[in-house]
Amino acid sequence: MTTTTVNGRAESLPDDPDALLIDIVRDQLGLTGTKLVCGAGVCGACTVLVDGAPVTSCLMPARAAAGKAVTTVEGIGATRLHPVQKAFMAHDALQCGFCTPGFIVESVAFCDQWRATRGTAAPSREEIGAALSGHLCRCGAYDGIFRAVADACAGRFDGDNVAAPRIEARDKVTGAAKYTVDIKHDGQHEGLILRSRVAHARITALDLAPARALAGVTAVSLLGDDKILRYVGEPIAAVAAKDRKTALAALAAIKLTSEKLPAVVGLDAGRKDGAPVVFDRANRKRAGNVSEAAGGLAPWKQNIRGPTAVFSTRAKKARNWVEEARQAGNKLLVEGTFRTATQQHACLEPHAAVARFDGDRLTLHASTQQVFHLKEQIAKRYKLDHDKVRVIADHVGGGFGSKASLGTETIAAIELAREAKAPVRVAYDRQEELSVAGYRPAAELKVALLPSDDGKLKALSVTAHADTGAATNSTIAGLARLIYPAEAKDLSDFDVISNLPPGAAFRGPGGPPMAFAVEQAIDEAALRLKVDPIALRKRWDPDPNRQRLYDWASGLELWRNRKPQQSGRYRRGIGVATGYWLYLWQPNVKVEVAVKSGRIVASTATQDIGTGTRSVLADTIAREFDLEPADIDVRIGDSSLPEGPGSGGSRVTASVMPPTLLAVRKLKAAILEQATRKPAPGSNAPWRELIARSPDIAVAEARGEDGKNTAPGIRSPLREVGLMGMVFGWMMRRFSNIAVGAGVPSSVQVIEVEVDTWLGHVRVLNVHTGIAVGKIAAPALAHSQACGAVIQGLGYALYEARELDPNSGDVLTAGMEDYRIPGIADTPEIDVHFDEAGFDHVLGNSVGIGEASTVPTSAAVANAIHDAIGVRLTEIPIRPDRIVAALKGRDAA
Amino acid sequence: MSVATADVITAPEFRAAGTDLSERRRSGLSCGSVIDLTASPDTIGIAWNADGAARIGALTAIAAIASDARLAQAYPGITAAAQGLATPQIRHMATLGGNLAQRSRCWYFRNPQIGCLKKGGSDCPARSGNHLYHVAFDLGPCVAPHPSTMAMALLAYDAKIVTDRRSGLSIAEVLGDGSNGTADNLLAPGERIERIELPAPLASERALYKRAISRTHAEWPLVEICVRAVIEGGVFREVHITAGGIAPVPLRLAASAAALQGKPADAATIAQAAELATSGAKPLTMTGYKLDLLRGLVRDLVERIAA
Repeated sequence: MTTTTVNGRAESLPDDPDALLIDIVRDQLGLTGTKLVCGAGVCGACTVLVDGAPVTSCLMPARAAAGKAVTTVEGIGATRLHPVQKAFMAHDALQCGFCTPGFIVESVAFCDQWRATRGTAAPSREEIGAALSGHLCRCGAYDGIFRAVADACAGRFDGDNVAAPRIEARDKVTGAAKYTVDIKHDGQHEGLILRSRVAHARITALDLAPARALAGVTAVSLLGDDKILRYVGEPIAAVAAKDRKTALAALAAIKLTSEKLPAVVGLDAGRKDGAPVVFDRANRKRAGNVSEAAGGLAPWKQNIRGPTAVFSTRAKKARNWVEEARQAGNKLLVEGTFRTATQQHACLEPHAAVARFDGDRLTLHASTQQVFHLKEQIAKRYKLDHDKVRVIADHVGGGFGSKASLGTETIAAIELAREAKAPVRVAYDRQEELSVAGYRPAAELKVALLPSDDGKLKALSVTAHADTGAATNSTIAGLARLIYPAEAKDLSDFDVISNLPPGAAFRGPGGPPMAFAVEQAIDEAALRLKVDPIALRKRWDPDPNRQRLYDWASGLELWRNRKPQQSGRYRRGIGVATGYWLYLWQPNVKVEVAVKSGRIVASTATQDIGTGTRSVLADTIAREFDLEPADIDVRIGDSSLPEGPGSGGSRVTASVMPPTLLAVRKLKAAILEQATRKPAPGSNAPWRELIARSPDIAVAEARGEDGKNTAPGIRSPLREVGLMGMVFGWMMRRFSNIAVGAGVPSSVQVIEVEVDTWLGHVRVLNVHTGIAVGKIAAPALAHSQACGAVIQGLGYALYEARELDPNSGDVLTAGMEDYRIPGIADTPEIDVHFDEAGFDHVLGNSVGIGEASTVPTSAAVANAIHDAIGVRLTEIPIRPDRIVAALKGRDAA
Repeated sequence: MSVATADVITAPEFRAAGTDLSERRRSGLSCGSVIDLTASPDTIGIAWNADGAARIGALTAIAAIASDARLAQAYPGITAAAQGLATPQIRHMATLGGNLAQRSRCWYFRNPQIGCLKKGGSDCPARSGNHLYHVAFDLGPCVAPHPSTMAMALLAYDAKIVTDRRSGLSIAEVLGDGSNGTADNLLAPGERIERIELPAPLASERALYKRAISRTHAEWPLVEICVRAVIEGGVFREVHITAGGIAPVPLRLAASAAALQGKPADAATIAQAAELATSGAKPLTMTGYKLDLLRGLVRDLVERIAA
């Protein structure tokens, strides 16, 4: 037997040639700070030091570490935090935290080597970007990482003081934060899922007996009662065994016979007459949902569901006017067809669940965006008492909309655990995560925009076909109703269903594709009207929040100093675009604020998926009591706490802040009332003294309605669009437990790019993002969210696309090297501007930032590219192949 | 996770650092036995002959090549290529021999549930399917580009490969001409690369390497090239241009090199050489863009080398 040294301790290495270093670190030693994400050496989440050099432990054979010294994140700063860790904490260089240990390990190696040779000079962005090019962060924490690494190298974090705007930051930079994939109960089994190999088939026989015959193996069927498989990767059965190797053998033992059915793959094939039908009438309820709320009724013929056109107004007029303008050759009529790509959430923590039964009580650790609602869904599905189900999610490694339902990983874990009478973990591998875990559907948008002769917006027509796979309920065109009022609007949404995995809600679902098309049409109209693009938006878009953002944007030096179109190899351009999302909040949310043993404790059954919910609560309460955020204990991530909101629809802040403030008011009164001794006169911390001496008191408050008095122009956007809007709002509340509030969270972005016309490469140089989401509850974290939203938007604009085999429906981009998310070196300088007005009618004045802040990015990039090269890129991602094709005026593949 | 079918590799495989093999074994693509390679003085490190020629052991880490000052002086195209591939962590682990003998990155080949020529299948699913990142010089039945950046750079230097059985092998003798779609190299079963031998550098030669990618770092090349030249009195002498990412094997851009050879290093000559880079190209439906990138890269690097 050979040995290695891990964090200073000798450890034995197994003889298995397939054992990898990450297996030793995570499974044998329980050092779960090291994360397994891509399994292919692309993302760097598993990075450890071997004899001081950073390596990817997911690829390194364990035996190659024989006789060497391995250092994991737990071995860094074990006794005293490394300056890099303090810098990451101080600069909030992290969000969900799942990639953070890998970044820390690499940055520590870089920083130590840098300082040994360069002293306290600060490295450049280019040097940091190259050094960290083997790491990926899906939240987009790169802006903070640049600052953290530069400052740590420059010696600015050598002292003992450490401050962190994110209250759980220390756990995330030391690897102590436990995610669902890190949970390991005694006797826990590992579950795997058998999935369809073909895009369309009818199962004729499924025999789990050969799998069950293997020692210690449990197997359950996951089939619905129609026995039809509708996409490659559709779950069929699940197995669990003591280890992954046995579970793999069990999967291989399952006997499956099926009859292949003709399949249809993708947006174009799905629309053809006579294409095989994916859902017959009886099975339509099996389709997934790509939006954040339940959908309404819509016509559905073969594979096309739609039009959903409730947000049209005088649609026929709009069509007629556009047609007349076309006939008359009206030069102001802007028409175009735009295509957006399928965007994968690519959460670094995969979908995962660990189920454990203790008698009839179920404890489920889940990587979920909705601990409370998931508990209710499980109780309903399995007919369990609500108080016998507990869902826990201490930390969640990203969600972005994909973890907001009762998913196969949870169903499989529960059913296997019940069958096995043992705890079971099911965690998707990267191939599953990048194929069957949801995505923002690709779309084709046909846009016609007609200005009137006097320079107003007369008609807007948008028809969107979304590539929803085995799902429905896309709203893209409809979102064009709530911006740019026109005399007439014809807005139609269609779902094109095909034999592909179901799409899911993804951060502002239909917002980015709508903006990509409509904001380019607006830009084109400005060119034809010879009006400054920001001035035209200011003219056509009366929303008071965005009016202020337009004023800010038009004053930017970058915008004012725009240059005429360039020639030569490298060409720079500047573009602008607007985006919005609805202000949503969740009724029935309760927050308890209590004094317990002399400390303030806030509790609500919400979760932090990297957005900073813990800090929003801690900062808010700390401000009220004149304490430090670290003085507040925030309890979330547990469904047994008072009902909290799901982390979707940008609703958390606006749902928890008002009840928190109400509870604080009442708690203050109760503390004062029960105080036996008043604070010393002139005390500079009267509340600290009062709380320390207070008996235990708990106050729980519910989220009430917003105030009726709003600033001029701030109204409910749905009320504004009339009866259908009100019906829509009522349905959202009734069926999805989401209320639509007054005022529109908005973002305006100005982006500068440089296009290399020889190599088709687009470099984003500068981004100014102006955001109006009311008062900022936790500024450093909101800044991180704003930057992350831009970075994800840049991925959408420039790099990300799911690629398929057009015949088989196999997802080809099922690994992180082929599904390309932005890296740190792709991050531009980002200037964040918060306009904090507009939401005075909300107690606390704050609404969510997550979605509004990512909507305009792809459109601003496309407008900037047009400004640079004079060609409009109508399809994203704007890859080198598309740039060189556009420059030659031909179609890219 | 789905059950693997027969489209897997069951032959024994050598393992150097495992940066390619570990991923394939995790996915179930490779499931034969593993033979770990252990370094000897002959197979690791950089050694120098009296005439200034270098020998690089096959188990030398890419990072060691990338950071070797003497190598950078003598063979700048090789160190630049080593600096440009993969990620810092991979470069610390991965070896030169492993880089040459790695398997294809084709997304069909990498999927253990899809058959292809390299896994005993009868056709190439990428050819009739999605080949966005595949070849633009269609030289054989398989349309996956060869993944070895180091092979492309070594080709520009006319390096020779020594195996445990043979010596003096050219890159073409080891990697073939692209007509064999069933393998990524022509090494015999059980034959392993021991070291690379470089000819002595020419007086005052220069070289550059660059890859065209969509992001800034850490991406397999859409197209990559290495340009090596001696320029005397404003005239190109001894021009070698090789390219990767565009064909089943690394290619010499002979027409471009010939257009420069003996000609003045001026803009018109360079532009013409760049146009000739695509001589013999046979792009697939989706890979025509690679020819634009290839022309752009040749023009870019030759201009810079002449500057």
